[in-house]
Amino acid sequence: MKKYILFSLLSFSFWSVSAQKNDIAPQDLNGMRAIGSPANPKVPMSWDRYHDYAQITQFCKDLVKSYPNLVKMESMGKSYENRDIWVLTISDFKSGKIEHKPGFYIDGGIHANELQGVEVSMYTAWYLAESFQTVKFINTLLKDKVFYIAVTISPDSREHFIYKSNNANTSRSGMRSFDNDGDGLVNEDKLDDLDGDGNIVMMRRKSKTGRWKVDPKYPSRMYQVRGDEKGEYEMLGYEGIDNDNDGLVNEDNTGTYDPNRDWAWNWQPNYVQNGALFYPGTLPETRAVKDFIVSHPNIAGAQSYHNYGGMFLRGPGAAEDDPLFTRQDIEVYDNIGKLGEKMIPGYNYFVLHKDLYTVYGGEIDFLCLTRGIFTFSNELMTSYKLFNQKSSWSRWDNDEFNEFDKYLLFGDGYVEWKTFNHPQFGEIEVGGAKKNYIRNHPGFMLQEDAHRNMAFTLYHAYQTPKLEIVEIKTEKLSGDLVAVTATIMNTRVIPTHSSHDEKNKIERPNYITLKGSNVVAGMTVQNEDLNLFTEQKYRPDQIEVSNISGMGSVKVRWIVKGNPSTATVEVSSAKGGIITEKVSK
Amino acid sequence: MNKKILFLFFFSIGFAYGQSDYLTYEKLSKKLKDFESKSKFCTVKSIGKSSGGKDLWLVTLSESAKPKPALLITAGIDGKHQAGTQIAVQLIDQLLKSDNLSKLLANKTLYFVPSVNPDATDAFFDKLKMEKSGNATKTDDDRDGQIGEDPFEDMNNDGLITKIRIEDVTGEFIESPDDARLLVKADPTKNQVGKYLLLSEGFDNDKDGKFNEDFSEGVNIDKNFTFDHPVFEKGSGVYVASEPETRALLDFLYLNQNIYAVLTFGMHNNLTETPKYDSKMATSRIIKSWLEKDVKTAELVSTLYTQKAKLKDAPKLPMTKGNFAQTAYYHAGRFSFSTPGWWTPKEEVQKDSAQVKVEKPKKEMGEPNPELAYLKWATKENLTNIFVNWTPVKHPDFPNQKVEVGGFAPYVLNNPPASYLEESTSKHKQFVEELLAAMPKIETNVPVVEKVQSDLYRVTIKVVNKGLLPTYTEIGDKIRFVSRMKTEIVLANNQSMVSGRKYYLRNSMQPGESEEYSWLISGSGKVTIQTGCATTGVKELIVELK
Repeated sequence: MKKYILFSLLSFSFWSVSAQKNDIAPQDLNGMRAIGSPANPKVPMSWDRYHDYAQITQFCKDLVKSYPNLVKMESMGKSYENRDIWVLTISDFKSGKIEHKPGFYIDGGIHANELQGVEVSMYTAWYLAESFQTVKFINTLLKDKVFYIAVTISPDSREHFIYKSNNANTSRSGMRSFDNDGDGLVNEDKLDDLDGDGNIVMMRRKSKTGRWKVDPKYPSRMYQVRGDEKGEYEMLGYEGIDNDNDGLVNEDNTGTYDPNRDWAWNWQPNYVQNGALFYPGTLPETRAVKDFIVSHPNIAGAQSYHNYGGMFLRGPGAAEDDPLFTRQDIEVYDNIGKLGEKMIPGYNYFVLHKDLYTVYGGEIDFLCLTRGIFTFSNELMTSYKLFNQKSSWSRWDNDEFNEFDKYLLFGDGYVEWKTFNHPQFGEIEVGGAKKNYIRNHPGFMLQEDAHRNMAFTLYHAYQTPKLEIVEIKTEKLSGDLVAVTATIMNTRVIPTHSSHDEKNKIERPNYITLKGSNVVAGMTVQNEDLNLFTEQKYRPDQIEVSNISGMGSVKVRWIVKGNPSTATVEVSSAKGGIITEKVSK
Repeated sequence: MNKKILFLFFFSIGFAYGQSDYLTYEKLSKKLKDFESKSKFCTVKSIGKSSGGKDLWLVTLSESAKPKPALLITAGIDGKHQAGTQIAVQLIDQLLKSDNLSKLLANKTLYFVPSVNPDATDAFFDKLKMEKSGNATKTDDDRDGQIGEDPFEDMNNDGLITKIRIEDVTGEFIESPDDARLLVKADPTKNQVGKYLLLSEGFDNDKDGKFNEDFSEGVNIDKNFTFDHPVFEKGSGVYVASEPETRALLDFLYLNQNIYAVLTFGMHNNLTETPKYDSKMATSRIIKSWLEKDVKTAELVSTLYTQKAKLKDAPKLPMTKGNFAQTAYYHAGRFSFSTPGWWTPKEEVQKDSAQVKVEKPKKEMGEPNPELAYLKWATKENLTNIFVNWTPVKHPDFPNQKVEVGGFAPYVLNNPPASYLEESTSKHKQFVEELLAAMPKIETNVPVVEKVQSDLYRVTIKVVNKGLLPTYTEIGDKIRFVSRMKTEIVLANNQSMVSGRKYYLRNSMQPGESEEYSWLISGSGKVTIQTGCATTGVKELIVELK
């Protein structure tokens, strides 16, 4: 241990000295380094496995310790079971104030059974910090932007998924208990791990009237017989017992709600939107994230990782909100989403309510419609990745997972069928997919997909607004009046304000201010050649510009008394950052 | 000169009086604690804190620790309506003094949250009075990125923020023909020409051409609830349910399934103006009409209000977006009734007057101008400090124009002196008693036990709702957090069930509706049958199988 610290101290000092001469760290120049990966990371990690809460916390601490000038760690709040919800702030702290840089928010694991969103978030944090000195693009990115990475926003449920018995779909919820079946009792009939292996699999029973059969190619797989084919088994649902003797099995499990229906946009109650609770923000976890987002108005882009299906989802969650996405804003999403389809083969760029299903009160709607943040949600993992081809079957009816299991996982993906004496069903068999199969990546595929998804998200982050003062002109008018004209350009695809933001004044306008000069009039320039201006009568020194569109520019003009050469032009934009430039250089 | 001094003298007395007879937050807290210390039925606890850190008091009237079917009475949600808080407190007082309290509480519980938005109460007692709906949350009312940059100013130093009128060519207002103090919009079809601009009292501090558009009013809690939230509107919050007051009240409502109905004293009325049934809106994915059976219940409750409690002629006051009353029905699934509690008494028409026979054209028969009605009433009652007469002032933003300050004093329209509330409080006490008496009553026949064969018994029971009202709302059957009607049988160890379920759940039971349940049980001895739900109470029967 001590040796390790000493080593890292040594390497740190060595690196920092040499870094001054050259931005490329020397140990990365040797031929052992695989391109695209940090060769000798200060925080050694394996990206072919999943992590529990203690390991996640340790990872965050290690990253902060190794990169104090790049990484900061804070708690956004406490979960229901009182765990800290960690958020990493990643930026080059030495160049500019972080709150003045356009921000990008990432979270993972809101649905805790969807493990890999957390690892992709962790990988992103790790890659950014570890590559700051070696990859110029990352270096510039961290100078320009700030990343807020909330690696897991459902930490309770993640622990439950990892350490308790679950299937691939359970523990989507948090851990707060509710009465699910209206009988006045809470959690009285949970799933039961009959064979005690940590996986909740399926129950089947031999039956003369059954309509299921064992697939002769893959004994782990059951298929439903069609037509007049005779079946051999009946399926009895997930592993469980009627614990409360009410004639229903597993009808009241722990926490059956959906934290991704707990957000403040077009929120609807449980009878409209299954999984909703009392009001958006019933859960401490979603409240913590909302508070964080609202208190960081510089966040211009966001990503919330889910699984699965291989999708880049954009809002809205419900069809009635379609008109809130204007053509200009959709073009921005198209630019990023369509490139994504190339960057990650097998992933599709989709609109949530059109291509997947309707979601009321979902997180991405909160981000893009309540807060005006350009947001994608990636559904990680797709069966395309198994054999790099599209499935000819539907998502629930194919045997690719069984085939993949047989030839690439050697049977590791499934619990083999075994007999069990069930108190209600008599002699049955239990078996089926392990909780970590199907939805979560097999280890050897995890790092690649983490990198590809990170790359997509970094492109998204790169396209958050970057404002530049491209020109400041002065022109003498009559008397001692001078006209100062400044041209400001947004050199990226994402505008400072989405149309929806601009229309509803979600965020303040951009201010373009001439400081240190006696301004007598101010105006925006519609067309300089044709002399078209719009005067701003109040506060002429601080011109308000409601939006600077992606790859667009604005021109403003001040009429000042006296020589403005010592004055400064300041552009202040909540999502576009703050920049200044002297009138005469 | 003397006259003026005399006027000022009266004026200041009226002002002092108006301030002292309503409860400040501190006095309210003390009063509630007093209630608690004086009555064994009354407990007071906090259900949360306001954004300004004040406790949100819950007063419970109950004769046992175990909750019974309950009414929740709320008030003071929109800060403009302080009268509601006063009425709620007077109501607790009257109930505690009432002879039949223990009879009322024999099988019911009463909850009160008399001040849901206590931060707003402070503004009512400020030296400089202006009507404020919101809590202590800092808000950017005009969404320009700056907080509170253009507040009001008391231009005539009377301690009241009223209005200013400016003679201006673009003005749309004229003096009302009925009362020259009031301004109304000019009607060009009647050859009326606008004369005045009408603005709130103050300067354009930030010189943006808008007046007093941001004094950081806070969040109006009655615009922050989940049903039909008016997102991005002034006072509605950064997002829906953003405020601690909103969440505390909803948590309390959802987690106490025994709350049958909510009665809100505030800015809305659905007791004399009952909800209407709209089949299209009641069956759409997002329900926006009371359901059919619930409308019937509302109509029945309305007759209790108008006929039994003799509460009539209330102003229309339709529901507004994001308010508590609608959220309590549409989202929490409880019956939800609203009333301003007090309103300007209707002018009595003298029957022998010849004027009665002259019928006004239909057009003008609509709602009478509430301001005019109030002014007439206040004059008759000799109330002072109601209206600030228009007086000229100098206004830097209109240097060359005639500017006058005047108009209604803040709050007066909805908040009469407390003494005027006593009578309507008594009537509302009667209404509350009628409502409690009308609530559902679960009754059963004597269970029928048939001996089918040696040790095999059939038990049959009929459950009926003998109350005037259903067991809970029809919409409640859609809502996961509403306690459902459950009929359960508990067997002894030697018994087993041959047919029948351990328990049956069913939908809301309308008044007079009944259902029969039967079980085949093997084994003699006692069984226990329980039936009911949180809003009816659970009835328990012990049946001997022999």
